[in-house]
Amino acid sequence: MELVFDNQKMDKEFVGPISSLLRELKVMREEVVVKVNGKLAPETLKVGKNDSVEIIKVVFGG
Amino acid sequence: MDKCHCGAEPSVFLNYSNAHLCQQHFIHMFDKRFRATVRNNQMIKKNDRVAIGLSGGKDSMVLLHSLAELKKDLPFELVAITIDEGIKGYREKTIKVAKAECVKLGVEHFVFSYEKEAGKTMDEIVSDNSEDIPCSHCGVMRRYLLNRSAREVNATKMATGHNLDDMAQTIMMNIMRNEPARLARLNEPMLKDAKFVQRIRPLMVTPEREVAIYAIMKDIELERMECPYARFAFRGHIRKMINEAEEKYPGTKFKIVNSLLEMEDALRAKYSKGAVLSACEKCGEPSSSNLCMYCKTVKFVNRKLV
Repeated sequence: MELVFDNQKMDKEFVGPISSLLRELKVMREEVVVKVNGKLAPETLKVGKNDSVEIIKVVFGG
Repeated sequence: MDKCHCGAEPSVFLNYSNAHLCQQHFIHMFDKRFRATVRNNQMIKKNDRVAIGLSGGKDSMVLLHSLAELKKDLPFELVAITIDEGIKGYREKTIKVAKAECVKLGVEHFVFSYEKEAGKTMDEIVSDNSEDIPCSHCGVMRRYLLNRSAREVNATKMATGHNLDDMAQTIMMNIMRNEPARLARLNEPMLKDAKFVQRIRPLMVTPEREVAIYAIMKDIELERMECPYARFAFRGHIRKMINEAEEKYPGTKFKIVNSLLEMEDALRAKYSKGAVLSACEKCGEPSSSNLCMYCKTVKFVNRKLV
Protein backbone atom coordinates (compact mmCIF):
# COMPACT_ATOMS: atom_id res chain seq x y z
CA MET A 1 0.00 0.00 0.00
CA GLU A 2 1.28 3.48 -0.81
CA LEU A 3 0.90 5.77 2.15
CA VAL A 4 1.30 9.55 2.26
CA PHE A 5 1.46 10.84 5.81
CA ASP A 6 3.07 13.87 7.38
CA ASN A 7 4.31 14.97 3.94
CA GLN A 8 6.15 11.69 3.49
CA LYS A 9 5.45 9.00 0.93
CA MET A 10 6.12 5.42 1.96
CA ASP A 11 5.22 1.84 1.21
CA LYS A 12 3.35 0.16 4.01
CA GLU A 13 2.23 -3.39 4.60
CA PHE A 14 -1.33 -3.12 5.79
CA VAL A 15 -4.72 -4.69 5.16
CA GLY A 16 -7.76 -3.61 7.13
CA PRO A 17 -10.06 -0.68 7.92
CA ILE A 18 -8.66 2.83 7.89
CA SER A 19 -9.59 3.18 11.57
CA SER A 20 -7.11 0.39 12.42
CA LEU A 21 -4.42 2.02 10.27
CA LEU A 22 -4.87 5.29 12.14
CA ARG A 23 -4.61 3.47 15.48
CA GLU A 24 -1.44 1.72 14.33
CA LEU A 25 0.09 5.04 13.31
CA LYS A 26 -1.14 6.63 16.56
CA VAL A 27 -3.02 9.27 14.59
CA MET A 28 -6.20 10.74 16.05
CA ARG A 29 -9.18 10.26 13.83
CA GLU A 30 -10.63 13.57 15.04
CA GLU A 31 -7.67 15.49 13.60
CA VAL A 32 -7.37 14.04 10.11
CA VAL A 33 -9.25 13.20 6.95
CA VAL A 34 -8.24 10.31 4.73
CA LYS A 35 -8.23 9.99 0.96
CA VAL A 36 -8.03 6.61 -0.69
CA ASN A 37 -7.05 6.57 -4.35
CA GLY A 38 -7.64 10.32 -4.46
CA LYS A 39 -11.14 10.31 -2.94
CA LEU A 40 -12.32 11.11 0.57
CA ALA A 41 -13.02 7.88 2.40
CA PRO A 42 -14.75 6.87 5.64
CA GLU A 43 -12.59 5.21 8.28
CA THR A 44 -14.70 2.07 8.02
CA LEU A 45 -13.31 1.43 4.51
CA LYS A 46 -10.93 -1.51 4.19
CA VAL A 47 -7.68 -0.73 2.40
CA GLY A 48 -4.97 -3.02 1.12
CA LYS A 49 -1.89 -3.46 -1.03
CA ASN A 50 -3.25 -1.89 -4.22
CA ASP A 51 -4.50 1.27 -2.55
CA SER A 52 -2.95 4.71 -2.28
CA VAL A 53 -3.82 6.24 1.09
CA GLU A 54 -3.27 9.86 2.05
CA ILE A 55 -3.72 11.00 5.65
CA ILE A 56 -4.28 14.77 5.82
CA LYS A 57 -4.05 16.68 9.08
CA VAL A 58 -6.88 19.23 9.26
CA VAL A 59 -6.99 20.29 12.92
CA PHE A 60 -4.43 22.86 14.01
CA GLY A 61 -3.98 25.21 16.89
CA GLY A 62 -4.42 28.96 16.52
CA MET B 1 -18.91 -1.68 4.11
CA ASP B 2 -22.18 0.21 4.61
CA LYS B 3 -23.33 2.56 1.89
CA CYS B 4 -24.99 5.95 2.05
CA HIS B 5 -28.78 5.74 2.49
CA CYS B 6 -29.08 6.65 -1.21
CA GLY B 7 -27.03 3.59 -2.17
CA ALA B 8 -23.93 5.52 -3.24
CA GLU B 9 -20.40 4.82 -2.00
CA PRO B 10 -19.82 6.82 1.17
CA SER B 11 -17.16 9.49 1.62
CA VAL B 12 -17.73 10.12 5.32
CA PHE B 13 -18.63 8.16 8.42
CA LEU B 14 -20.32 10.08 11.25
CA ASN B 15 -19.29 8.05 14.28
CA TYR B 16 -21.66 9.84 16.66
CA SER B 17 -24.70 8.77 14.64
CA ASN B 18 -23.26 5.68 12.95
CA ALA B 19 -24.14 7.12 9.53
CA HIS B 20 -22.29 6.69 6.25
CA LEU B 21 -22.82 9.57 3.83
CA CYS B 22 -21.86 10.14 0.21
CA GLN B 23 -20.48 13.55 -0.77
CA GLN B 24 -23.83 14.86 -1.92
CA HIS B 25 -25.65 13.88 1.26
CA PHE B 26 -22.87 15.03 3.52
CA ILE B 27 -23.00 18.49 1.95
CA HIS B 28 -26.79 18.45 2.25
CA MET B 29 -26.56 17.48 5.95
CA PHE B 30 -23.93 20.14 6.62
CA ASP B 31 -25.89 22.93 4.94
CA LYS B 32 -29.13 21.88 6.64
CA ARG B 33 -27.48 21.87 10.07
CA PHE B 34 -25.86 25.27 9.41
CA ARG B 35 -29.16 26.86 8.47
CA ALA B 36 -30.98 25.23 11.37
CA THR B 37 -28.39 26.63 13.79
CA VAL B 38 -28.82 30.13 12.37
CA ARG B 39 -32.62 29.83 12.41
CA ASN B 40 -33.15 28.12 15.79
CA ASN B 41 -30.87 30.60 17.56
CA GLN B 42 -32.28 33.59 15.64
CA MET B 43 -28.75 34.51 14.68
CA ILE B 44 -29.49 36.60 11.60
CA LYS B 45 -32.48 38.82 10.98
CA LYS B 46 -33.63 40.59 7.84
CA ASN B 47 -31.42 43.58 7.04
CA ASP B 48 -28.68 42.66 9.53
CA ARG B 49 -25.17 43.71 8.54
CA VAL B 50 -23.04 40.70 9.46
CA ALA B 51 -19.28 41.06 9.85
CA ILE B 52 -17.35 37.78 9.69
CA GLY B 53 -14.14 37.47 11.66
CA LEU B 54 -12.14 36.07 8.74
CA SER B 55 -8.75 34.63 9.62
CA GLY B 56 -8.35 32.69 6.37
CA GLY B 57 -8.35 29.38 8.25
CA LYS B 58 -10.78 26.62 7.33
CA ASP B 59 -13.51 27.55 9.83
CA SER B 60 -13.86 31.20 8.86
CA MET B 61 -13.52 30.37 5.17
CA VAL B 62 -16.32 27.80 5.36
CA LEU B 63 -18.35 30.30 7.39
CA LEU B 64 -17.80 32.92 4.69
CA HIS B 65 -18.98 30.54 1.99
CA SER B 66 -21.97 29.32 3.96
CA LEU B 67 -23.12 32.84 4.83
CA ALA B 68 -22.59 33.96 1.24
CA GLU B 69 -24.92 31.12 0.21
CA LEU B 70 -27.46 31.95 2.91
CA LYS B 71 -27.45 35.57 1.75
CA LYS B 72 -29.02 34.41 -1.51
CA ASP B 73 -32.15 33.44 0.44
CA LEU B 74 -32.16 35.95 3.28
CA PRO B 75 -31.76 39.71 2.87
CA PHE B 76 -28.72 40.71 4.92
CA GLU B 77 -25.38 42.37 4.26
CA LEU B 78 -22.08 40.58 4.59
CA VAL B 79 -18.62 42.04 5.20
CA ALA B 80 -15.39 40.46 6.41
CA ILE B 81 -12.87 41.62 8.99
CA THR B 82 -9.40 40.17 9.37
CA ILE B 83 -7.26 40.91 12.40
CA ASP B 84 -3.60 40.85 11.45
CA GLU B 85 -1.71 39.92 14.62
CA GLY B 86 1.66 40.32 12.86
CA ILE B 87 2.88 36.72 13.06
CA LYS B 88 5.51 36.26 10.40
CA GLY B 89 5.28 33.15 8.25
CA TYR B 90 1.70 32.52 9.36
CA ARG B 91 -0.74 35.39 9.25
CA GLU B 92 0.37 36.95 5.96
CA LYS B 93 -0.33 33.64 4.21
CA THR B 94 -3.83 33.30 5.64
CA ILE B 95 -4.64 36.96 4.94
CA LYS B 96 -3.73 36.40 1.30
CA VAL B 97 -6.15 33.48 1.12
CA ALA B 98 -8.86 35.52 2.91
CA LYS B 99 -8.46 38.51 0.58
CA ALA B 100 -8.62 36.36 -2.55
CA GLU B 101 -11.79 34.63 -1.36
CA CYS B 102 -13.51 37.92 -0.54
CA VAL B 103 -12.75 39.20 -4.02
CA LYS B 104 -14.10 35.97 -5.52
CA LEU B 105 -17.34 36.20 -3.50
CA GLY B 106 -17.73 39.98 -3.82
CA VAL B 107 -17.51 40.54 -0.05
CA GLU B 108 -16.04 43.79 1.25
CA HIS B 109 -12.93 43.04 3.30
CA PHE B 110 -11.35 45.10 6.09
CA VAL B 111 -8.02 44.40 7.78
CA PHE B 112 -7.05 45.74 11.21
CA SER B 113 -3.58 45.13 12.60
CA TYR B 114 -2.12 44.85 16.09
CA GLU B 115 0.82 46.95 14.94
CA LYS B 116 -1.36 49.86 13.89
CA GLU B 117 -3.95 49.59 16.66
CA ALA B 118 -1.83 48.54 19.63
CA GLY B 119 1.65 49.62 18.60
CA LYS B 120 3.26 46.17 18.40
CA THR B 121 3.06 42.96 16.38
CA MET B 122 2.47 39.66 18.17
CA ASP B 123 6.00 38.61 17.25
CA GLU B 124 7.35 41.68 19.06
CA ILE B 125 5.10 41.06 22.07
CA VAL B 126 6.30 37.45 22.32
CA SER B 127 9.91 38.50 21.94
CA ASP B 128 9.58 41.12 24.72
CA ASN B 129 7.61 38.87 27.08
CA SER B 130 9.09 35.40 26.76
CA GLU B 131 7.77 34.31 30.18
CA ASP B 132 4.14 34.96 29.22
CA ILE B 133 1.79 32.67 27.33
CA PRO B 134 1.28 34.57 24.05
CA CYS B 135 -2.39 33.55 23.73
CA SER B 136 -3.35 35.41 26.90
CA HIS B 137 -2.40 38.75 25.30
CA CYS B 138 -3.47 37.78 21.81
CA GLY B 139 -6.96 36.64 22.84
CA VAL B 140 -7.71 39.90 24.68
CA MET B 141 -6.47 42.04 21.80
CA ARG B 142 -8.20 40.06 19.06
CA ARG B 143 -11.60 39.99 20.78
CA TYR B 144 -11.45 43.72 21.50
CA LEU B 145 -10.41 44.65 17.98
CA LEU B 146 -13.01 42.37 16.41
CA ASN B 147 -15.78 44.04 18.43
CA ARG B 148 -14.57 47.57 17.85
CA SER B 149 -13.89 47.04 14.15
CA ALA B 150 -17.31 45.40 13.70
CA ARG B 151 -18.82 48.57 15.10
CA GLU B 152 -16.65 50.75 12.87
CA VAL B 153 -17.96 48.96 9.79
CA ASN B 154 -21.51 49.40 11.12
CA ALA B 155 -22.11 45.69 11.66
CA THR B 156 -25.15 44.59 13.67
CA LYS B 157 -23.75 41.06 14.17
CA MET B 158 -20.23 39.67 14.46
CA ALA B 159 -19.94 36.10 13.14
CA THR B 160 -17.00 33.93 14.12
CA GLY B 161 -16.04 30.48 12.91
CA HIS B 162 -15.99 28.81 16.33
CA ASN B 163 -16.95 25.19 15.81
CA LEU B 164 -18.16 22.40 18.11
CA ASP B 165 -14.60 21.46 19.06
CA ASP B 166 -13.75 25.07 19.98
CA MET B 167 -16.90 25.33 22.11
CA ALA B 168 -16.25 22.02 23.90
CA GLN B 169 -12.62 23.01 24.57
CA THR B 170 -13.57 26.44 25.93
CA ILE B 171 -16.20 24.93 28.21
CA MET B 172 -13.75 22.36 29.60
CA MET B 173 -10.98 24.95 30.00
CA ASN B 174 -13.25 27.19 32.06
CA ILE B 175 -14.39 24.27 34.21
CA MET B 176 -10.82 23.14 34.80
CA ARG B 177 -9.77 26.68 35.70
CA ASN B 178 -12.73 27.13 38.05
CA GLU B 179 -14.12 30.00 35.97
CA PRO B 180 -17.89 29.34 35.91
CA ALA B 181 -18.60 33.07 35.52
CA ARG B 182 -16.88 32.95 32.12
CA LEU B 183 -19.17 30.08 31.13
CA ALA B 184 -22.14 32.23 32.05
CA ARG B 185 -21.13 34.80 29.45
CA LEU B 186 -19.79 32.40 26.81
CA ASN B 187 -22.67 32.96 24.40
CA GLU B 188 -23.40 36.59 25.19
CA PRO B 189 -22.14 39.30 27.55
CA MET B 190 -23.75 39.39 30.98
CA LEU B 191 -24.67 43.01 30.55
CA LYS B 192 -25.96 44.68 27.44
CA ASP B 193 -24.08 47.65 26.07
CA ALA B 194 -24.60 49.51 22.82
CA LYS B 195 -20.88 49.14 22.13
CA PHE B 196 -21.03 45.32 22.11
CA VAL B 197 -21.77 43.96 18.66
CA GLN B 198 -23.77 40.77 19.14
CA ARG B 199 -21.65 37.70 18.44
CA ILE B 200 -23.01 34.74 16.54
CA ARG B 201 -21.38 31.35 15.98
CA PRO B 202 -23.24 29.55 13.21
CA LEU B 203 -20.74 26.64 13.24
CA MET B 204 -21.04 26.09 16.99
CA VAL B 205 -22.56 22.60 16.65
CA THR B 206 -20.46 21.54 13.67
CA PRO B 207 -17.51 19.24 14.44
CA GLU B 208 -14.20 20.70 13.33
CA ARG B 209 -13.29 17.69 11.23
CA GLU B 210 -16.56 18.05 9.31
CA VAL B 211 -15.74 21.70 8.56
CA ALA B 212 -12.52 20.47 6.95
CA ILE B 213 -14.31 17.74 5.00
CA TYR B 214 -16.85 20.27 3.73
CA ALA B 215 -14.07 22.64 2.67
CA ILE B 216 -12.31 19.87 0.72
CA MET B 217 -15.56 18.78 -0.94
CA LYS B 218 -16.42 22.36 -1.95
CA ASP B 219 -12.86 23.18 -3.12
CA ILE B 220 -12.60 26.03 -0.64
CA GLU B 221 -8.97 27.10 -0.57
CA LEU B 222 -7.39 26.50 2.80
CA GLU B 223 -4.11 27.37 4.36
CA ARG B 224 -3.38 24.33 6.53
CA MET B 225 -0.98 25.56 9.12
CA GLU B 226 -0.75 26.10 12.84
CA CYS B 227 -0.09 29.34 14.67
CA PRO B 228 3.56 29.06 15.77
CA TYR B 229 2.55 30.15 19.28
CA ALA B 230 -0.23 27.57 19.66
CA ARG B 231 2.14 25.13 21.35
CA PHE B 232 2.18 27.37 24.46
CA ALA B 233 -1.56 27.23 24.93
CA PHE B 234 -3.45 25.24 27.55
CA ARG B 235 -6.06 24.66 24.85
CA GLY B 236 -3.77 22.20 23.08
CA HIS B 237 -3.83 19.85 26.08
CA ILE B 238 -7.62 20.13 26.32
CA ARG B 239 -8.01 19.46 22.61
CA LYS B 240 -6.03 16.24 22.92
CA MET B 241 -7.99 15.16 25.99
CA ILE B 242 -11.38 15.79 24.36
CA ASN B 243 -10.37 14.18 21.06
CA GLU B 244 -9.25 11.05 22.90
CA ALA B 245 -12.59 10.97 24.70
CA GLU B 246 -14.48 11.50 21.43
CA GLU B 247 -12.67 8.60 19.76
CA LYS B 248 -13.61 6.25 22.59
CA TYR B 249 -17.05 7.73 23.27
CA PRO B 250 -18.43 9.32 20.07
CA GLY B 251 -20.77 12.21 20.76
CA THR B 252 -18.78 13.51 23.74
CA LYS B 253 -18.27 16.96 22.22
CA PHE B 254 -21.99 17.40 21.54
CA LYS B 255 -22.75 16.37 25.12
CA ILE B 256 -20.26 18.85 26.58
CA VAL B 257 -21.80 21.72 24.62
CA ASN B 258 -25.37 20.62 25.33
CA SER B 259 -24.54 20.45 29.04
CA LEU B 260 -23.54 24.09 29.00
CA LEU B 261 -26.65 25.10 27.10
CA GLU B 262 -28.70 23.34 29.80
CA MET B 263 -26.85 25.11 32.62
CA GLU B 264 -26.53 28.50 30.98
CA ASP B 265 -29.67 30.13 32.41
CA ALA B 266 -28.79 29.09 35.96
CA LEU B 267 -25.21 30.32 35.57
CA ARG B 268 -26.34 33.66 34.18
CA ALA B 269 -28.87 34.08 36.99
CA LYS B 270 -26.15 33.45 39.58
CA TYR B 271 -23.39 35.57 38.05
CA SER B 272 -25.42 38.54 36.86
CA LYS B 273 -25.99 39.69 40.44
CA GLY B 274 -23.85 42.69 41.20
CA ALA B 275 -22.32 42.81 37.71
CA VAL B 276 -21.61 46.38 36.72
CA LEU B 277 -20.30 47.79 33.48
CA SER B 278 -18.79 51.21 33.03
CA ALA B 279 -16.58 52.83 30.41
CA CYS B 280 -12.83 52.40 30.20
CA GLU B 281 -11.09 55.65 31.19
CA LYS B 282 -8.76 55.44 28.22
CA CYS B 283 -10.78 54.14 25.26
CA GLY B 284 -14.40 54.47 26.42
CA GLU B 285 -15.22 50.84 25.61
CA PRO B 286 -17.32 48.80 28.09
CA SER B 287 -15.27 47.68 31.04
CA SER B 288 -15.83 46.17 34.47
CA SER B 289 -12.91 48.20 35.85
CA ASN B 290 -11.36 51.66 35.31
CA LEU B 291 -9.15 50.41 32.53
CA CYS B 292 -10.39 47.68 30.16
CA MET B 293 -8.33 44.53 29.62
CA TYR B 294 -7.29 45.69 26.16
CA CYS B 295 -5.92 49.02 27.39
CA LYS B 296 -4.17 47.26 30.27
CA THR B 297 -2.62 44.83 27.78
CA VAL B 298 -1.57 47.59 25.37
CA LYS B 299 -0.02 49.54 28.25
CA PHE B 300 1.82 46.43 29.41
CA VAL B 301 3.20 45.37 26.02
CA ASN B 302 4.35 48.90 25.22
CA ARG B 303 6.08 49.47 28.56
CA LYS B 304 9.69 50.53 28.53
CA LEU B 305 11.84 47.41 28.80
CA VAL B 306 14.90 47.47 31.00
